[in-house]
Amino acid sequence: MESDIPLSWFLLFAAASFAIGLIGVLTRKNAIAVLMAIEIMLNAANVNLVAFWRYGPELPEAGPVAGIVLAIMVITVAAAEVAVGIGLILLCYRRWRAADVDRYDSLAG
Amino acid sequence: MIRVLFLVIAVTGLASALATVLIKNLVRAALALAGFFFAVACLFVLLEAEFLAALQVLIYVGAVSILLMFGIMLTRGVQGTDPASRPSAWRLPGVVIGLAVFALLGYAIFQETGLGTQRAWGAIDPRPAIARGTVEPGAPRRRAINDMGKVVGVELMTRYVVAFELAGLLLTAALVGAVAVAHREDDEPSRGEPSRIPSDPPITTSP
Repeated sequence: MESDIPLSWFLLFAAASFAIGLIGVLTRKNAIAVLMAIEIMLNAANVNLVAFWRYGPELPEAGPVAGIVLAIMVITVAAAEVAVGIGLILLCYRRWRAADVDRYDSLAG
Repeated sequence: MIRVLFLVIAVTGLASALATVLIKNLVRAALALAGFFFAVACLFVLLEAEFLAALQVLIYVGAVSILLMFGIMLTRGVQGTDPASRPSAWRLPGVVIGLAVFALLGYAIFQETGLGTQRAWGAIDPRPAIARGTVEPGAPRRRAINDMGKVVGVELMTRYVVAFELAGLLLTAALVGAVAVAHREDDEPSRGEPSRIPSDPPITTSP
């Protein structure tokens, strides 16, 4: 089909999103902003999973919906991570009255 | 036509991701993040995984964004501004590392050649079209695409049942853990006796 989308376009979108998320993790200071950037990176990985599932060869031993189920598992883990992460950030905010990641330096030598 | 649609969705998503990373106001950044989640859901629809798109909208746009926004409002006040950004000594290496990772991934995407008997990505067949009407029996993925919710449910209960149970255990543990971590001792309505734990110890860990 000539009007179809090439696989590499999805991969490039995912790579760009992952790079943007990585930049966010490395440059943002607020802990919740870092958490949001991590969510961007996880979503980029999900796009890759579903794209490979849709375009890849159909293996009988892999089941018909392998990429979908893997993406659902990633979404589950990401939701749990956000819940625990928000709880930890609230705890740290109550202790240090700040949500900046470079204020949490109690373990610094 | 569908390529134009993809480009529109991709540009919107990448712009939302950039806005999430760059905007100082955290509430606006969270709104941009919801836009990015929605763009990813649109990409799932383009990949014919509508069930996953619905899950994405429900969980990410509906729950995770709202949870993040509550976190912002509980830590920053309603304004949600993030005035102090990281000093420029950290900004430049971060951007350089991000661009280097993107360059490496892009190089790998365009340079791959396939492994052994497998074909290269560029030689992989275009997506099989959506099956219309009756489906021949030899195409389980087409049948799965046309009946995604049922197939995912059956697969979760048969082939992936261990992963399914582990995910349930993880969600339970995360729920209990989040409540236990964010629990505040001095917010409890006193039941006659005051708490013996000092209310604000400087270093000790929370119960």
